Amino acid sequence: MKELSPLTCKEVFARLQDYVDRELTESDVQGVERHLELCGHCAKRFQFEESVLRELKEKLRRIQAPEGLAERVHRALESVDLS
Amino acid sequence: MPEAPAQPHTIESFERLLKPVLGPAYGTALQFARNAADAEELVQDASVQSFKAFHSFTPGTNFRAWFFRILTNLAIYRFRQRKRRPEAVGLEEIPDNVLWEEAKRAGPSEDPASVVIGRLDQARVSEALDALPEEFQVVCVLYFMDEFSYQEIAEILEVPIGTVRSRLHRGRKLLQRSLAEMAREHGIDESEDAR
Repeated sequence: MKELSPLTCKEVFARLQDYVDRELTESDVQGVERHLELCGHCAKRFQFEESVLRELKEKLRRIQAPEGLAERVHRALESVDLS
Repeated sequence: MPEAPAQPHTIESFERLLKPVLGPAYGTALQFARNAADAEELVQDASVQSFKAFHSFTPGTNFRAWFFRILTNLAIYRFRQRKRRPEAVGLEEIPDNVLWEEAKRAGPSEDPASVVIGRLDQARVSEALDALPEEFQVVCVLYFMDEFSYQEIAEILEVPIGTVRSRLHRGRKLLQRSLAEMAREHGIDESEDAR
């Protein structure tokens, strides 16, 4: 199998968001991971982006549904006329 | 190929699928509606609409994405009027490193992202998300809050996956700029209070 040429920092940076989102192709994942093993600067930047994503998700998903929501939805569904 | 068995159109079978989705749906509805009463109304109306259309849902497929398509379309239609006009600023003018630079300014840390975003409470992060232009906000909400994949978001919004990627990247850039500004203001406020 042909060995892919290594990615530059600029190329890795362009792929970083997709890598953090797990939306890269397999060959791109391998290229990015190979680069991150060798480049401390990009590795730090990847850890930062991953951490930002984790923090944002955690803050935004703290909302709890109000008490009784399921019961109120149920009552709304019972009044639906499907005929 | 044999057809999937028809979905029994009963409240019971519908609610079995709806139950695990209801909580996350409320959180998303609240992000769009910005108040609890409108959020609850949105969830109820989306549930009723989905139940009426339940015969069209194919059993064994992604109910969560199917339901969120209905919820999201209803939210966009209902709250579009409330949105401000989108920013005219070119995204190319916003550097890619705004939040990273703010994290470096905060000083050395094991987890610089946590230091910067840690200054912001849930309300501020939600506010920053709400300030995004609609087309970016919708994708960001579905991605950050509901953890849909690019493909699922493309199906929910009925746009190409490349459009999802582009809107998410651009929305993120704007969001990071807002968060960096908020974090900087909050950091300055905290250091003044400490004197």
